Amino acid sequence: MAEIEFLHVGKVYGGDTLAVSDLNLKIGEGEFVVLVGPSGCGKTTALRMVAGLEEVTEGEVRIGDQIVNDLAPRDRDIAMVFQNYALYPHKTVYENLAFGLRMRKVPKEEQRRRVEEIAQKLGLSDMLRRRPGQLSGGQRQRVAMGRAIVREPKAFLMDEPLSNLDAKLRVQMRAEISRIQKTLHVTTLYVTHDQVEAMTMGDRVAVMRDGVLQQVDTPQKLYDSPANLFVASFVGSPPMNLFEATVEQGGTQLAFGETRLDLGFRSLPDYAGRRVIVGIRPEEVREASGWDGARVRGRVLLVEALGAEQIVHIQIAATPLERADLVDAAAQPPGPSLGVEDLERSVTLLGRFDRHLLLTPGEAVEVAIDPRLLHFFDLETGIALPTAAVPAVAGVAG
Amino acid sequence: MSRKRLRNLGWDAIGILVLIVMVFPVYWMVTTAFKPGQKILSYTPQWFPTHPVLSNFRDAIHQQFFWDAVKNSLIVTSVVVVLSVVLAFLAALALAKFSFYGRKPFIVVILGVQMVPLAALIIPLYITMARLGEVDKLSGVIIMYLTFALPFAVWTLRGFLLGVPKELEESAMVDGATRFGAFVRILLPLLGPGLVATSLFAFILAWNEFIIAYVFLHTPEKQTLMVWLASFTTLRGTDWGPLMAGATLCALPVIVFFLLVQRRIAFGLTAGAVKG
Repeated sequence: MAEIEFLHVGKVYGGDTLAVSDLNLKIGEGEFVVLVGPSGCGKTTALRMVAGLEEVTEGEVRIGDQIVNDLAPRDRDIAMVFQNYALYPHKTVYENLAFGLRMRKVPKEEQRRRVEEIAQKLGLSDMLRRRPGQLSGGQRQRVAMGRAIVREPKAFLMDEPLSNLDAKLRVQMRAEISRIQKTLHVTTLYVTHDQVEAMTMGDRVAVMRDGVLQQVDTPQKLYDSPANLFVASFVGSPPMNLFEATVEQGGTQLAFGETRLDLGFRSLPDYAGRRVIVGIRPEEVREASGWDGARVRGRVLLVEALGAEQIVHIQIAATPLERADLVDAAAQPPGPSLGVEDLERSVTLLGRFDRHLLLTPGEAVEVAIDPRLLHFFDLETGIALPTAAVPAVAGVAG
Repeated sequence: MSRKRLRNLGWDAIGILVLIVMVFPVYWMVTTAFKPGQKILSYTPQWFPTHPVLSNFRDAIHQQFFWDAVKNSLIVTSVVVVLSVVLAFLAALALAKFSFYGRKPFIVVILGVQMVPLAALIIPLYITMARLGEVDKLSGVIIMYLTFALPFAVWTLRGFLLGVPKELEESAMVDGATRFGAFVRILLPLLGPGLVATSLFAFILAWNEFIIAYVFLHTPEKQTLMVWLASFTTLRGTDWGPLMAGATLCALPVIVFFLLVQRRIAFGLTAGAVKG
């Protein structure tokens, strides 16, 4: 077991393609850190640099107290689980599991004992004689995990190990990997593009974009106080509602469409008279009845029933985000161009409501927005704006 | 009868016709080898030898230089097979797994040289080899065969190598193997079908080749089997019986070799390595 540390790490491909830039990240002993970001953000490259499969162009990668930049993969004592599992097709499950031990000249008896123990733990005992081709996707995944665990390495590196499984199995394996990691207490760096995976599995989550680390924090902190627009839009599902608004009344009031929202205890004095980006999570958009604070009027566009709850698309009058490049494009709901005359510009506000609320498309609704739960971002840079400190308020759905 | 069936029948007929054209010479060779001399040249063709004789085979084996030719052919073929497989594996590895300056042009050149007809190369190659003192030597013929077998072998093996996901080696390297160890333990076993296909090609090329051997090898003791076969055709005529018996004997190793390895040319060996 050991720490993994990136110190000003950079990776340039072919002289000009920047994959990772000035990455600083420390994964503590026994910690589970998830690197998350859209495809091409450099997360896999970062992982492969730790594995030794990719050269480090600049900076230092450390495992334990050793700089491993120039160390061969086999000398780093790490184990890696690949996205496509990379099981050796011509070897049986047993041979696959024992390969790393054999390479490290572990005595035969010891090999057998450890392989059988792991196989037992992962429910693979009955298929030790089979070849990977005869296994189902979930079983292959478990063999790949087993091959990493059996070595008892200093650290686990996992490159999207669940992305080839179907949704149900993914949820199951997610819990299993977390459980295994907690029991073994092995330092783990896990790469995924799936923010749900990141949030549920990581002790800490590192969000990357275009080779640049955006924010590292616990899942809850990422959710509660994203550092910038990108993190805000990437974390959370459905994604945070984002629109533009003007700060009025010396920084104490927000204006969008015909809505005037008092900011209460918070204020944005530096932004008085300027436009900002406002964000609110769908789970914090509430039903208006029984709320005497600010209300926003809109019209129901679509209701997605999820069983326990429903996602309601509500059209409100506000200015949609113009700098779409500041957010995760994939997470941004498409702005409607419905040609509604009474609403100059409209934004679709997603709300997560209790299933008992009966709403039909076309219906006019009023929703309540608690100003204490709003997020503010700079229009130009997308960086989160500090406001007067308020005690964190737990979001209540519905 | 529907048009579809009629069309299928037409294709079947063409298929059978092609089969007959392909198989008949072989059939005629084998049956002729078993016919006694006077039956071979009779005006009414004998389609099946009713009284097969082995005298042609006896004559062929006792023909001068037969065992020399067998020995020479075996030497040339085995050296060509082994060298072409080993060299092609290393070359293909370089082309498929490493990026280096001039890789693309090299791949194109490999493809290009296979398009040059043999006849166009014989004279320049003869001159080159003569200068090197490699004419009338088995080593010269071996070098010549390698120049023809290697491009194909490299090309084929490169294809097989590209089919093996790179994560397999990477995984082996993370698991504790050296780069070379990963090649030998992981890649090589997976390349089985490719290596078999390549060695089969090299074997057939080296064993069956006639023109180069005929041009380069003058001394009877140094000739290969194919050149030896030609010795049945003399100024006084052709001795068909022993020639056909000799040809049948020459074809046997190729058939045996093919039967031995054909089951190994099984594709889909990498199934289960990665997703899917």
